[in-house]
Amino acid sequence: MESIKIKKITSVWIITVLVLFVASIVLGILMRLNQGGALNQAPINFYSNMTIHGLTMIGIWFVAGMAGINFLMERYVKTSYKANLTAFILTVIGVVMLWVITLVGKFHVAWTFLYPMPFKIMWAKWATPAFLVAMSILSIGWLIWSISMMTQILKKYSIAQAFAWQHFTKDPSVKTPPFILISMITLVGVITCLFVAVVLMALYFAEFLSKGSFVNDALLMKNLTYFFGHTIANEMLYLGLAVLYELFAEVGGKAKWQTSWYVALAWNFTLIFILTAFFHHLYMDFVQPEGFQIIGQLASYMASLPAAAVTVFSVWVAVYRTKIKWSLTNLLFFIGVAGWVIGGFGAVIDATISNNVVLHNTLWVPAHFHSYNVMGNVLFSLAFFYWFSIQFTEKVVNERLSKLVLSLLIIGGAGFLLAFYLGGADSIPRRYSNYPAEFTSAKPLALVGAAFATVYLIPILILFVTITKRCIKVLFSSR
Amino acid sequence: MYKSFVFFALIVLLTHSSSAQSFSDAMKEEINIYQKIYDAPLQVAGKPPASFKEFYSQQPFVLALVFTRCVGICSPFLVNLKETIQLQPFEKDFKIIVVSFDPWDTADEMELLARNLGLKSDPKWIFAVTDSIDQMNRSLGFDPVWDSVRMQFDHDALLVGINGDGYITKKLIGLRERNELNQLVASIHNVFSPTYRLPNPNILFSCFNYDPISGKNKPGLGLAFLALPAVMAVGVLLIVSMSVRKRKIL
Amino acid sequence: MHQNSILLLFFFLMGIALIVFTYIFFSSKKADQGMSNPLKKRFWFFLILVFILGIFASVTIPNSPYFAHAGETPAKVVHVAAAQFIFYMSEQAIDPAKPSGHPIELPANEVVEFRVTSLDVNHGFAIYDETGRLITQTQAMPGYVNRLRYKFDQPGKYHVLCLEYCGIAHQIMRTSFTVN
Ligand code: HEM
Ligand SMILES: [Cu+2]
Repeated sequence: MESIKIKKITSVWIITVLVLFVASIVLGILMRLNQGGALNQAPINFYSNMTIHGLTMIGIWFVAGMAGINFLMERYVKTSYKANLTAFILTVIGVVMLWVITLVGKFHVAWTFLYPMPFKIMWAKWATPAFLVAMSILSIGWLIWSISMMTQILKKYSIAQAFAWQHFTKDPSVKTPPFILISMITLVGVITCLFVAVVLMALYFAEFLSKGSFVNDALLMKNLTYFFGHTIANEMLYLGLAVLYELFAEVGGKAKWQTSWYVALAWNFTLIFILTAFFHHLYMDFVQPEGFQIIGQLASYMASLPAAAVTVFSVWVAVYRTKIKWSLTNLLFFIGVAGWVIGGFGAVIDATISNNVVLHNTLWVPAHFHSYNVMGNVLFSLAFFYWFSIQFTEKVVNERLSKLVLSLLIIGGAGFLLAFYLGGADSIPRRYSNYPAEFTSAKPLALVGAAFATVYLIPILILFVTITKRCIKVLFSSR
Repeated sequence: MYKSFVFFALIVLLTHSSSAQSFSDAMKEEINIYQKIYDAPLQVAGKPPASFKEFYSQQPFVLALVFTRCVGICSPFLVNLKETIQLQPFEKDFKIIVVSFDPWDTADEMELLARNLGLKSDPKWIFAVTDSIDQMNRSLGFDPVWDSVRMQFDHDALLVGINGDGYITKKLIGLRERNELNQLVASIHNVFSPTYRLPNPNILFSCFNYDPISGKNKPGLGLAFLALPAVMAVGVLLIVSMSVRKRKIL
Repeated sequence: MHQNSILLLFFFLMGIALIVFTYIFFSSKKADQGMSNPLKKRFWFFLILVFILGIFASVTIPNSPYFAHAGETPAKVVHVAAAQFIFYMSEQAIDPAKPSGHPIELPANEVVEFRVTSLDVNHGFAIYDETGRLITQTQAMPGYVNRLRYKFDQPGKYHVLCLEYCGIAHQIMRTSFTVN
């Protein structure tokens, strides 16, 4: 009985994410077309689309990771169906509100909603309070879910075991599965940044309700905003990685990965560094003390190191001269790791202060974060979706279709991203609805990006259809 | 389409400027920063004539502008300056030059002022008059207005930092906190701070406050807001663990 | 040119990554044994990465803009107030109550300082040279003044663009100045 429920809610999550993903990609392509001059949207529409594209993408890939974790977590501990369902309902309410606020209310603050922009009303008056409410609803829903999941883990594992500290001793008596370790590390990070969101929203509400007698500090608000935004964007990738650690070996027909002392060490370090890396968003705010800037650079380097090095190397070693049952699932994982690494290079280059001076807020920024989303995290989650969908339905797998899907994903993704990178190196600003004439390469690059993004959309649609069909079957089956 | 932008921008600007408040005084302090001070000749009682250049080429200085007949801010201003400076150990040496902007003042009257303040024999302090008041004032962006009814100057209490090359590095108007004075002194020694805050109605929640002595930003209360969520997360972790594991936390 | 070397470095690293991933992928086709638990003894790999990044950090950090020309006295100070969707630039301080600016001319080969603030939301203050290349930038934040020092070695016309999203006309918010 219980396991049917979790199957069904996971199916619902997957369908929801895929629907919103397709819609947001379409918005993304429209943006690129507009930047290329092929469309002529009013800037207010462009920026509203941009805002909802960013918010939705971050939101859905976060919940996709959480849904995956939640489903697989059942292998180790019982999870709370109620928390899962609550999170789903609040997510749907929050996301629907956000779409109405941006597309009807024309609320266009970009997904980072930097203070004090939400208060400089340039849209429907109700949009600002509604936005604050929607963000609070999402934060609270996800907070409930994360804390509940953490509680279930802690029922079985002590804190030390959940963080795999016993692996620092010679012969650990209890083995912590990597999946539990990474989930735990990530959940603590997620809970932290959701608390940041709560504090941020509280400060916004305080100013909103005080009618001008309380004013926030722009620097503090910017720090909080990126503490939240940067951290959640990174943690959602780790959620995807936890799934990879659990499934990559299994799908390839290999023995499960085991935690070792330096895996434990690497992930424990990751938790610390990921919480201070957000300082790199404020490099160009010279008001931030130099010490913090340097911490930002070092933490950005260190945050990418342990998790990346351990994971990437493990995947290499797991594949190198090893007979593997390749399937769409682990190929998506494998390509996703490659995309993540390449995006990581772009990120480390940009996280270097002396480079950031000429890259900050150019197209280099969307270039690198789209790399480890479009070609990284999304593929991790799609791998899970696909794997999930064939667990409970017929296992007829169409090899040719898989090949087509993968090649189109790679071609489309690579071309789309390359247009961003070249634009960034050409000093083209990000978040411009139309490009000034002096950027001669900007429009052609935007059109190239739009074309390749369309190529990327095709395999997504194929996966959407096949996965959704199976998930609907799961929904209506009674087993 | 672009026309509507301009229109829009104008509206935003108009609504904005009506709400902008008391930044103006702070902005006055920005006038003529990094301009050179006019090299006015100076006369100190009982000393050979000199000029600003001879002083700054030896040591950077803080310039205070007063007039001896002032019944207003000048003397509290100087007393306050004296106390703040005496209370404070400064690493690098500098001078304080008090110059009158009143053409009626003589070098002797300035010496009397020094004696009244108990500063006559302090080598740090120099009291002088100049015959190029207008040029000096102009180079400092200082504009006292003579009020012939009250027989007084209407003026700001102005402190100006001059570095070793004769450039104006910072200005302070009015009686100010010790912190800001220290910032002025730091600036004449060419200590560069990449930023500073503008006066803000709410500094309660700011992340950092600039400390000119160390040249660093000191953590403000706002930083607590950055640390708070992490502390809360650890708290939740411990509480949850304690409640589900009956006190066996680890 | 800074951007070109960045791009080159990126392509170089990407190339290596692609080669390694492809090679490893194909090695699994003609497989022998492989390793049983892949999460073992990868520590040296990690150390090498730490070492490389450590060098990279110690070389690049001293080049951060905060330390540029810190000990010098600028030949000129330019006040910048950004507002939706205008830049005011002036050699005099700018009064937020009635902001105004004037055309700016700066000397070449001398340190100049921009004191950048904002009158409303966050903006960017990014300087582009005549060829449309971004050469330096700072942020404009309400309530704070960022001091950006720079020495222009080429005379010519420079453009300033807003590089922090500030609303509906962000993409046309710009100004310019000359260096001679
Ligand atoms: C092929 C699919 C996608 C396309 C075509 C696309 C397109 C775009 C475009 C054109 C922009 C604006 C770039 C600019 O600043 O000029 C953008 C911004 C953004 N995208 Fe995507 N994107 C895609 C997938 C994703 C995914 C998977 C994520 C997942 C996290 C994502 C997250 C974001 C975010 C957070 C922004 C920033 C929004 C903002 O500036 O407020 N995108 N995207
Ligand atoms: Cu702007």
